[in-house]
Amino acid sequence: MKISITVETKIIKKLFILIFWILVWEICSLFMNNSLLLPSPFEVLKTLIILMGKAYFWKSVFNSILRVIIGILLSIAIGIVTGIISGLNKFIEELLGPLVVTVKSTPVISIIIIALVWFNSSNVVIFTAILICFPIIYTNVIEGIKSVDNYLVQMANVYKVKRKYVVKDIYLPSIKNYIVSGILMCLGIGWKVSVASEVLSTPNYSIGLNLLNAKTTLETSELFAWTIVIVILSFIFEKIFKYYLSRAKK
Amino acid sequence: MCIDKEGDFMEKQNEDQYEVTISRLSKYYEGVPVFYNLNMKFLRNRVTAILGPSGCGKTTLLNIISGIEKDYSGKVNLRGSTISYVFQEDRLIPYLSVYDNVAFVLKSTMKKDRIDLTVRKFLRMVELWDYKDKLPCKLSGGMKRRVALARAFAYKSDLLLMDEPFKGLDDRLKSDIIKKFLMIYRESARTIILVTHDKAEAEKLGDVIYSLD
Repeated sequence: MKISITVETKIIKKLFILIFWILVWEICSLFMNNSLLLPSPFEVLKTLIILMGKAYFWKSVFNSILRVIIGILLSIAIGIVTGIISGLNKFIEELLGPLVVTVKSTPVISIIIIALVWFNSSNVVIFTAILICFPIIYTNVIEGIKSVDNYLVQMANVYKVKRKYVVKDIYLPSIKNYIVSGILMCLGIGWKVSVASEVLSTPNYSIGLNLLNAKTTLETSELFAWTIVIVILSFIFEKIFKYYLSRAKK
Repeated sequence: MCIDKEGDFMEKQNEDQYEVTISRLSKYYEGVPVFYNLNMKFLRNRVTAILGPSGCGKTTLLNIISGIEKDYSGKVNLRGSTISYVFQEDRLIPYLSVYDNVAFVLKSTMKKDRIDLTVRKFLRMVELWDYKDKLPCKLSGGMKRRVALARAFAYKSDLLLMDEPFKGLDDRLKSDIIKKFLMIYRESARTIILVTHDKAEAEKLGDVIYSLD
C-alpha cells in the first residue's frame, strides 16, 4: 500500500508539472495573440494528431531515427576503440589529440557545410552525428582509463596476466560508467545535431526537411509539432537506454 | 643484518642455492637514499623474512624484486621468472567474484578445466569455497586477505613475495591465517620473501631473517 502511494504521488507530481508548463505556454500564447509567432498548445496538439495520420510523418520519423541510431552507434564504437587505445598508449593519445581538439572546437554548422561538399544528403547526417558524438565518448573513455586503479594493473603485470584479460576484467568494468554517461550525452546531442544536419542537407523523408518546409510555409504550429516529436523521441531513446542499463545491472 | 635460524647460511656458497640475488642495490627518493649498496641473497624454497620498522624500504625492496619499481641502480638477479605477490593492500578486482579473482591470474597460463580444479583446491584450503560467488565488497578484511593468499599460492610461481600479509588482523584471525599459510606452504613449497615489522612473526615463519634499519 505504501509503495503504491509513493508511485502514484510521483505520477501525479509529474502530471502536475506538465500541466503547469502547458498552462504557462497557453497564457503566453494568449498574451502574444499571434499564432504565427506562438501557437497555443491545443493548436499544436491538433496539428500533431493530423500529421500522425499521414504516411510521410511515419516515414520521416523512421528515417530520422535510423540515421540517428547509425550515427550514435558508430560514434560509440569508434569512440570506445580509439579511447581505449589512446588511454593505454600515450603516443596514440598525443597523435589523435589535435584531431579531437579540432573537431570539438569546430562549429556544428561548419561540419555540416563541409559534409555537404563531401557526401550525399543522408550521409551528411550520419557523418555529422559521428563527428560531434565521437569526441564525447572518446574523451570519457580516456578519463575512465586514467581513473583505473593502478594497483590492480600492477598486480596483473606482476602475475603476467595477458593484456586482453587486463582490458576485459580491469579496464572495461572501470570505464563502464564513463561510457554510459558519454552515451547519455550523445543521445541528447545526437538528436539535435542530426536534425540540424537534416535541415541543411534536406534528405527525403526526414524530420529536418519537414521542419524546414513548415518554416518556409509559415506553418508555425506544424513547426512546433515536429519539435515536440523530436523531444519525445529523444526522451524515449534515453528511457529505453536507461531501462536496458538497469536490466544489465541486475 | 642476517640471521639464519639453521646456522648454515654462510656455508651455502653455491649460487644455485639462491632464488634471488641482490648486488649493490641503491635507491633514492627525491635525493634521500632508501638503500645504498645493499647486498642480499634469498635461499631457494625457503622463507626469508625481512624485518624492519615502517618506512625503512621493505615494500620498496619487494617492488624492485617484482619489477614494479624500475628506478634503481645495482643488480637484481632472479633465478626463475614467475612471481606471486601478496601485497599490503588486498588488490582484489572489485567487479569479479572471489572465484574469478583467483582465476584471473591463472587464465593466461592454464586451461579452463585445470583452472577450475586449482581455484577449487586453494579456495577450499582457505575455507572460502562457499563464498566463491561473492564480490570483494561483501567480504570482511580477513576474508579478502585469505583470497589474496589463495590467489598467490594458486599461481605456480618460483618466488612468492608477501608484504605484511597479516597486518591489521586481530590475533585470532592472524593465528588462523598463519596456520592456513603454513598448510599451503607445505603443500606447494617455493621461495618466499616475507616482509614484516613483527619480530615474533619473522621468527615463527622465517628460515632466514634479514633485519633492515
